[in-house]
Amino acid sequence: MRILVSWLRELVPVEASVEELADALTRHGFEVSAIDPAPSVPDRPAAPADAVLDLEITTNRPDCLSMVGIAREVATIYARPLTGPTLAAAVPGEQPLPVTIEDDARGLCPRYAAAVADVTVAASPGWMAARLEAAGVRPINNIVDVTNYAMLELGHPLHAFDLDRLEGGELRVRLARPAETVRTLDGVERALPAGTLVIADAGHAQAVAGVMGGADSEVTGSTKRVALESAWFDPLSVRRTSKRLALSTDASYRFERGADIEAPVRALLRVQALLRDIGAGTPRGAVVDRYPIPRTAAAVTLRHARIRQVLGVDVEAGFVAATLERLGFDADPLPAGDGGSAWRVTVPAHRVDVGREIDLIEEVARHHGYDRLPATFPAAVQPPAPPSGALARRRLLRRVLTASGCSEAITYGFIEEAAAAPFVDGSDDLVRIANPLAETSAVLRPSLIPGLVDALVYNRRREHHDIRLFEIGHRFTAARGETPGFAVALTGASSPEHWSNSTRWGGQAPPIDVFDVTGIVGRVCDALGVAAVFEAPAAPAPGPLVAGRTAVVRAAAPDTATALTLGYAGQLAPGIAAARGLPAGDEAVYVAELDLDLIARAATDRRRMAAAPLPRYPSIVRDLAVAVDAALPAATVRGTIRSAAPEALRQVRQFDRYAGKGVPQGRVSLAFRLTFRAPDRTLTDTEVEQAMRVILARLTAEHDAQLR
Amino acid sequence: MPEAPAVGEVRAAFLAELGQAASPEQIQEVRNRYLGRKRGAVTALLKSVAQAPPEARRDLGQQANALKREIERALVERSGAVAAAPTPAGRQQPGRSARPGDAAGRSEPVDVTLPGRDVRIGNRHPLTVVREEIEAIFTGLGFEIVEGPEVEDDYHNFEALNMPPEHPARDMQDTLYLESPLRTPAGPPGTLLRTHTSGMQIRYMETHEPPVRIIAPGLVYRRDTPDLTHSPMFQQVEGLLVGENVTMADLKGTLESFLRQLFEPDTRVMFRPSFFPYTEPSAEVFISCVFCRDGCAVCKRTGWLEILGSGMVHPAVLEAVGYDPERLTGWAFGVGIDRIAILKYRVEDIRAFYDNDLRLLEQFPL
Repeated sequence: MRILVSWLRELVPVEASVEELADALTRHGFEVSAIDPAPSVPDRPAAPADAVLDLEITTNRPDCLSMVGIAREVATIYARPLTGPTLAAAVPGEQPLPVTIEDDARGLCPRYAAAVADVTVAASPGWMAARLEAAGVRPINNIVDVTNYAMLELGHPLHAFDLDRLEGGELRVRLARPAETVRTLDGVERALPAGTLVIADAGHAQAVAGVMGGADSEVTGSTKRVALESAWFDPLSVRRTSKRLALSTDASYRFERGADIEAPVRALLRVQALLRDIGAGTPRGAVVDRYPIPRTAAAVTLRHARIRQVLGVDVEAGFVAATLERLGFDADPLPAGDGGSAWRVTVPAHRVDVGREIDLIEEVARHHGYDRLPATFPAAVQPPAPPSGALARRRLLRRVLTASGCSEAITYGFIEEAAAAPFVDGSDDLVRIANPLAETSAVLRPSLIPGLVDALVYNRRREHHDIRLFEIGHRFTAARGETPGFAVALTGASSPEHWSNSTRWGGQAPPIDVFDVTGIVGRVCDALGVAAVFEAPAAPAPGPLVAGRTAVVRAAAPDTATALTLGYAGQLAPGIAAARGLPAGDEAVYVAELDLDLIARAATDRRRMAAAPLPRYPSIVRDLAVAVDAALPAATVRGTIRSAAPEALRQVRQFDRYAGKGVPQGRVSLAFRLTFRAPDRTLTDTEVEQAMRVILARLTAEHDAQLR
Repeated sequence: MPEAPAVGEVRAAFLAELGQAASPEQIQEVRNRYLGRKRGAVTALLKSVAQAPPEARRDLGQQANALKREIERALVERSGAVAAAPTPAGRQQPGRSARPGDAAGRSEPVDVTLPGRDVRIGNRHPLTVVREEIEAIFTGLGFEIVEGPEVEDDYHNFEALNMPPEHPARDMQDTLYLESPLRTPAGPPGTLLRTHTSGMQIRYMETHEPPVRIIAPGLVYRRDTPDLTHSPMFQQVEGLLVGENVTMADLKGTLESFLRQLFEPDTRVMFRPSFFPYTEPSAEVFISCVFCRDGCAVCKRTGWLEILGSGMVHPAVLEAVGYDPERLTGWAFGVGIDRIAILKYRVEDIRAFYDNDLRLLEQFPL
């Protein structure tokens, strides 16, 4: 709402400067987003101290989409009298315009007032045109301008029809007929959806009620008689129509927020006074007012003690009553009861936002001043709840991942369908957005990997070579709904460059491989209390990964007999990274993604762990190298060693895998370091030798292993 | 094209020798024998390409080059394996130690100004840094941290927050809707991406008795075209305190304390009336501009920056969850994490947070 300060001063005599006014309005909830110079017109230069305040009016205050509304606030702030605009005297007598509200339209139009005037269409006087322009309204002709001027002043939208162009010389408020159309003032022929409220003549719709008039009854240079409409339309109906027609106007903006149902006749009398003042027309006959069920004013009880309960400050009773009165409420003191003093507050019709006590307390708070509220501190009345397991787990996860050299990414929750497709079984599993901003954000991500791959590619294309990224976030599929997870994406060298490596490693660190990603995932699972195992998946590999270079990550959970599949780790199919723009010839990308809900199910709570006593007796270490079939998974060999060993075997560590000279074709040499230790005594060599023989025998029997 | 016999022979010989090499020195010798510039076997093979019959020249050249790369890779891998292999217990590794001065008792001088070994540690995302800072401040004030789904239903995102269908205030938050509802573990299916984390107020109060003292951080979505200050996805923290004798003055005191911990101890805080459907009275909160003392482009020469929205919980919201608004009062606030990060770290473009450019991410504290 643009407020011309000199116009405002006509309604309320305040001496405050433009800047002071702007500041005061801002502090009372009407943010002044700009102070613009007042426009000047040839015969009337702008007063030197004049300006236009551009006010942001919140959606709850349609009454302030008007000069009078803002003037009422200013009058309250400065405790000055408010002078309303001059109205014409109501003329008694016959009503020259037949107005019918059809039965099914009554609910949407509880009040319809109209008047007729004989007019001489011309340009508006300069002062009026200047004020309209200051408010951001384009002057058209004196008749249309007067209706707009009255709307800006009082906040009530009006419309003028050329009465001689109305068939039958009458107005009918009704719902649009099937397939009915209307050509609106902007020249667009519009199909009217079923249920649209229209203003029609005997034949056709002539206006979309509360939104825009029709071109067929537009006021033109040859108009001699006008029908002036001043009605009150149901806010929801106007809002729906405005949305359906994608047409928002000064009128619809006000009606959909809630106009003043007491204003229609006053607005017509104001228009009549303005027409007379500028010599544009004279009223013919009395005002028509179809208002079958007049509004009953709401009365709200305001308790003085409640103001303190909500605001935390005592506001003096006299100030409360005076403020409400100035804002247009009637505040009648109630007999003092148990709860202390109170008022019965009658709500004026222009305050559509006020219906309960809290709305009045807001008025008191605004005018008392937020800056005068003390800054106190709420008493703690109970201890805070302990942090949730999920949050603690995520923070730990983030710590371990950053310690693993991965940096955190946050990528968009919506992605391109093509990027998402490889990560679901069928396109039915994708969760689509009905009104996406763009094709590139059309589906919710089923996996965190596409976003990470995009971030990885973004960095690869900007001279970053070694990239380790992770993200913790939600994934969305139709089958599983919304699930939390984490993912990593790695590429580049497996370790940082260092000068001491330059001769030993031929000047470069080896590139990242699958064991970097399984290593990180293993470490994370361990930190989260999950005993994860990596298994070669039953063919085929999980969709987007390379078969033979991918492990599924599984772990036992207390609530299920079969191990849970937490996720996977492995090499990303090269085509996927390439499709997202990874430079050709780049090193492979390795990824992993695990489900955090499943991790929670499989996790033991490490916060409740007890520390194991430190070993009191020495350990004995033995190395064991065996040749086995090259296709035998190493995990199987380690499992056999463990199952064949006595309890004293504390650790099995694999330190070599070798194929080549000295190992028969099709076989591979695996070397393990076994650590034996007993908690209660020093083990003897004999015991360990015996254990090693048993282990070897089992390896030979089960895997045809040969000692090397 | 089958592999040329000469290539296969060199490979077989190399692999055999490499298998024998057990120390860095031996690996270097193997490297010299195959890749050495004068007598290297692969070097000789490459030279022989020129003498090959013209029709075989191209294939031989390609194969010889491929072999060279293969050998280079194998040497690197073997070096890594040898270097990482532990010294067998009770046996001293022959030759010089891989790292100068690492054996007990060694004391030859080294150039200590040579760069140390880099320890690679990743960085938290700047938005996480801010989020965790906010979480820590409110944890210190006795608040519980709660989280909820990003796909919400209309009731929790709007209706229970005093925004019935077609309420004009819904226009303030342009919403992304799902094509078909998504099932949720409990409650009605989700139909939209939450436009704020305020829905967690409702979810929490529906399942907990007062008093309530929570913050709800998380991702939220709006159908906003991205620009310098708008992102269709961003992070928000919602705060809620409900109990007996909770006042707007408490809101002011708490937010002042929060903002002074988050920014500077001498940050000035201003409250200004505003409107949100789910709070009344509502306040927009401003802090003294972090960029200037007397007006700059960022604060539009006002000296103030808008930082969050807040207010007293609307009685209709308390009623929607079955709380008695006569006995209980409360306040709520919502703050954009991205906005805080932009102001704290002087990031000009909100979109930079979602590019995940490591040159930006690596600037942030661990």
